[in-house]
Amino acid sequence: MSETPILRAENIYYSYDNEKSHSLNGLSLEIFRGKKIAFMGANGSGKSTFFLCCNGINRPSKGTLYYCGEPYDYSRKGLLRLRSKVGIIFQDPDDQLFSASVYQEISFGILNLGVPTEEARREVEQVIDRLEITPFRHKPTHALSGGQKKQVSIADILVMHPDIIILDEPAAALDPKHTIMVNKIVDQLTQEGITVLMSTHDVNYALEWADEIVLLHEGQVLMHGSPLEVFTDKKILAQTNLAQPAVLQLFESLCKKGILDASLPLPRDLGTLEHYIENIQTSHNKEETDTCPQK
Amino acid sequence: MITIDMLCYYSRLRYMNAMEKFTYAMLTLLFCVVSRSLAMAVLVLAVNGILTVKKGGIPFSRYWHYLMIPLAFLILSTLAVIVNISRTPFDAFAIPVGSYHLTASYASIYKGIQMILTALASVSCLYFLSFNTPMTDILSVLKKLRCPDLLVELMLLIYRYIFLLLGISFSISLSQDARLGNRDLKTSLRSFGAMASVLLIRAMTRSGALFDAMEARCYDGRLQVLEEQYPPKRKEILWILFFEIFLLILTIWSKIK
Repeated sequence: MSETPILRAENIYYSYDNEKSHSLNGLSLEIFRGKKIAFMGANGSGKSTFFLCCNGINRPSKGTLYYCGEPYDYSRKGLLRLRSKVGIIFQDPDDQLFSASVYQEISFGILNLGVPTEEARREVEQVIDRLEITPFRHKPTHALSGGQKKQVSIADILVMHPDIIILDEPAAALDPKHTIMVNKIVDQLTQEGITVLMSTHDVNYALEWADEIVLLHEGQVLMHGSPLEVFTDKKILAQTNLAQPAVLQLFESLCKKGILDASLPLPRDLGTLEHYIENIQTSHNKEETDTCPQK
Repeated sequence: MITIDMLCYYSRLRYMNAMEKFTYAMLTLLFCVVSRSLAMAVLVLAVNGILTVKKGGIPFSRYWHYLMIPLAFLILSTLAVIVNISRTPFDAFAIPVGSYHLTASYASIYKGIQMILTALASVSCLYFLSFNTPMTDILSVLKKLRCPDLLVELMLLIYRYIFLLLGISFSISLSQDARLGNRDLKTSLRSFGAMASVLLIRAMTRSGALFDAMEARCYDGRLQVLEEQYPPKRKEILWILFFEIFLLILTIWSKIK
């Protein structure tokens, strides 16, 4: 491929305990602009550690990370530049929200970029409007619900207009309404050409949403490929304790029973599968109406 | 503590310019303390009560309850000032105790009442500020008044994290209760100790995580934030000015007299 990856990790190692054990164990990876990438793997497989490396918070002990082909520059200035391009939304909003005021909280990142006050004010208002924060913008952050805190923590990063947004298990501890809301926001982001990296345990969502899936196992990339490639590889799934998405399971068993044609392209969401089943029904009906008059 | 914090978010005076409220509260407090006059104290108490309950919409029972808390302390401490132990009885009353008298003069009773009311009026000034102004707004006023950044930033973080720690300690003690952790004195002492040590560890990890998250948003050592803007209103400023000038005249008059 001629295009330079927006983010590239080359054989990186990271350890939390002075090299006794490694959370990242020679991880190599290439990520291209505008892609939606789901990171999957058991707890402790290195997803969060890798994300913190991408943002320059964790510095790998060995190996190199590249942003747009340039190796990471860990000087003060280089880090500021990097972090203005790579935004990370933490799993627990309480780790991220430092102010009791929603408005102050959102304005923090953009002011750090050196944007003039008036422009920052406009941007903050815009993001408050866009993420539907207006109904609770005057509440103190400690009185917000988990979902509302998540909305604010996403706004924190969106306001900085990064090229890459990293979401660390955004759906953790969210109710269905807020999960849908977060998913909608993520879809909008990719439409704007922002590269989104997301860690998730939801195989169904990953199959439907992602362009690529990165399976991590013990600090290494076990598999990196399209969702259909990854989710049809049962050996790999068993190794990482992941279940196959429900759509694929159902499709497979319908094929085995001869109800569906196994040559059909694999469905990625319930809608497609439903469509397949609808088609047999209608073709079946057609056959019946065709054969009836002859009798 | 939690209720006192929630009150200001529901106050109708919340969106009034914080600098106005701060100036009003501080000047009134100053005049109250300087003049020490009974009339002034009663006036300030009444005005603050009306402002907080009528204008701000804080329930009267709540306001009364919070005013009563310092009152108990005030009465106890002024009692010591009013009542004397002396051989000669004073004019107000005298209870003989052996060869001594438990006694007080009218002057000292007057002084005591004056002290209680002045102190209560001063407290009501601070209550006006804290019942109607969220902490973050008060901090922005302090920042404008050139209070050192370090202090203001620390206060901002502490205020936020008080609630996080309270939340964690609440859920820990709940889970301890669920496992009979507080069934008698011995277990509750042990549970409390365990909670304290866990809280310390949690606080340390939280602060580490917070620092990472702030770094991730280009934190460069200064907590720069924008404030919501509630522009001052001319009418309000005029009223405050009018009231404070009136208090000033009252103060001067009480000093000359």
